[in-house]
Amino acid sequence: MDTAGADWLTSTRVAIVAGKGGVGSSTVAAASALAAAQDGADVLFIAVDGRPGMGPLLGGDELGDRDRLLQKTDGGGRVRGRTIPAEQAFSDYLELKGVGGLLRRAATAASLPMIAAATPGLEHLLVLGMIKQLEKERTADLIVVDAPPAGHAAPFLRSASGLSDVVRSGPVLEQADEVSEMLTDPARSQVMLVTLPEETPVNEVVELAADIGEIGISLMPLVVNACWADRPGLAKTPAMAARSHKTKLTSAAKDALESAAGFGRLRLARQEHQLERLRAELDLPIIQLPRLTTTQIGPDDLPTLAAALVGGDE
Amino acid sequence: MSAADPVPTLRDSVIGADLLVTCGPGGVGKTTTAAALGVAAARSGRRVVVVTVDPARRLADALGLEEGAAANDPHLVKGVTKRASDGALWALMLDAETTFDRLVHEQAASERQSEAILTNPVYRAISGSLAGAQEYMAIERLHQLYTSGEWDLVIVDTPPSRHAIDLLEAPDRLIRFLSHPVYRALTVGQRAFARVTNAAAGAFLWAVRRLAGPQIVEDTIEFFRSLSDIEPGLRRRAKEVSALLHSEAATFVVVCSPRAEAIGEAEHLVEALDERGYPFGGVVVNLIHPLPEPLTAADAAALADLGAGPLADHVEWHDELTELATAEREELEALREMAGDVPFVELPLLDVDIHDVAGLAGLAERLLGRVER
Repeated sequence: MDTAGADWLTSTRVAIVAGKGGVGSSTVAAASALAAAQDGADVLFIAVDGRPGMGPLLGGDELGDRDRLLQKTDGGGRVRGRTIPAEQAFSDYLELKGVGGLLRRAATAASLPMIAAATPGLEHLLVLGMIKQLEKERTADLIVVDAPPAGHAAPFLRSASGLSDVVRSGPVLEQADEVSEMLTDPARSQVMLVTLPEETPVNEVVELAADIGEIGISLMPLVVNACWADRPGLAKTPAMAARSHKTKLTSAAKDALESAAGFGRLRLARQEHQLERLRAELDLPIIQLPRLTTTQIGPDDLPTLAAALVGGDE
Repeated sequence: MSAADPVPTLRDSVIGADLLVTCGPGGVGKTTTAAALGVAAARSGRRVVVVTVDPARRLADALGLEEGAAANDPHLVKGVTKRASDGALWALMLDAETTFDRLVHEQAASERQSEAILTNPVYRAISGSLAGAQEYMAIERLHQLYTSGEWDLVIVDTPPSRHAIDLLEAPDRLIRFLSHPVYRALTVGQRAFARVTNAAAGAFLWAVRRLAGPQIVEDTIEFFRSLSDIEPGLRRRAKEVSALLHSEAATFVVVCSPRAEAIGEAEHLVEALDERGYPFGGVVVNLIHPLPEPLTAADAAALADLGAGPLADHVEWHDELTELATAEREELEALREMAGDVPFVELPLLDVDIHDVAGLAGLAERLLGRVER
């Protein structure tokens, strides 16, 4: 697959971005939304668990449970954003099924936690059901879904198939079937996996890819977040490196540069080793995003990541 | 650190506490930290058991844990201490379902009662996923191990959670669940539909039936009924666990990384521990980038605007690493202030992932200074 340009991203209608906790999948989801909008697409960004800060990261206000415009891009694209709280998905669903107001209020106030407890995966399914509804209505050219973090991505995506083990009739089963149909049609939805070039995240993304493959969902190129740029010059000592530039270093400068280089050589070798493992274990194109030298990625950093996403293969 | 030093260290917790809970966001090395503290305690002569949740594969290997239910019972970790009298480390991997089953067995009045619950399809489906079940089970397992009296120290690694505080509230949440009016209405009387007159419970049953069909309604009611038989026991247990976590025997160690988001969660957790009166034993920050020695102003000026080449690689790398390492140190300031007098340990990003006991021992030394073997 050619990952230069935004086609790989906009060739489906729902991009579900998932990764284990701490790998930056929410940031990558936001960068994907921006990249597609910069390509002229009308994008809807959905933060499933309503994590704070995502609206401002995309240049707007905090996300709420209704669409709001976050930014317009040159070339006619735009990013809107929203959350889908489980309670809202439930109440909207009851409304869709023609349930009256008073009873609906009673049912939602008293019993969502109980119904959810009795019907595992129901909350996830209702959220996916709402996404499916938005996709069917062609609310946007591309819907980017920031999937639940940590260990919850696989259960989230498995909720549709898993529920049919417990529920054998009724609208929940229909809903589950319709969601499964969307998830297994690559023209309608695909999953973008995010990881880091570190041993444990690599192990985990390989497992996650297998889980998702089992459910029958197509995978987009794999995004490896926070990759240091290659620095072949570090292989030389600072003094040797200076010779190539026909210059000399003070001994203080040699020490200072070497104090960084020792760590850098190990780090880069390790990063390359993990990228090799990913190439060997997953049959997916790999997109590397640069490691930014900040502890918190802000709206000003997002265009850098968006550009790297559509900038072509590693 | 000298014996007279009044500043508390993690060593105090490892030697003095009976229960140690590690908590924090995902992806920060929480499980590895818990295991290393276990090695340190064992080498201080204590009998220690570490309860892990979903450890990375190589760490699980290091602890001798294999996949499957067998891992739910403590395994002796070999190679931690030389003689049995030196203390020892056991490890186990939490299996929420098995723990829940065990809890039902213990609390049920009869074999028939526990069978009724354990074979219910709704129970089978939810025992691994009931609201906060995994968190609750981590706590429950801690209680089981603690009360067994077989260990001097029980270390529990908590499930990664965006809202790590869920763990602490898990026992209360179970009590709330059992006190829910809908639950109460459902569990009164014998015949489901005839007796359920409570409006909310009626709406609940109606909604479940509408959504998921009649069979699951029967199963659900049956499940809640059978659960009510063991309710007094669950309630009592939840209270005991809550009291234990608040007692002086326990200590909580918050683990995080220097990313802004992880620090935010750690700060939230520190506040919550304080507000709710849980004993707070320390903060461990993993994965910190090393700060290179600075270039002098003159050297930096001389090295600006180099053409592409190996020296430019060196200078750019030095700049980038310095920038990130500096940002991380600034980001950590507020958390350090919040931690106040409790131990605050900063650990550099390691060169290799830890995958054996020697690696854990090395980390233990960094966590609390050299440990006598």
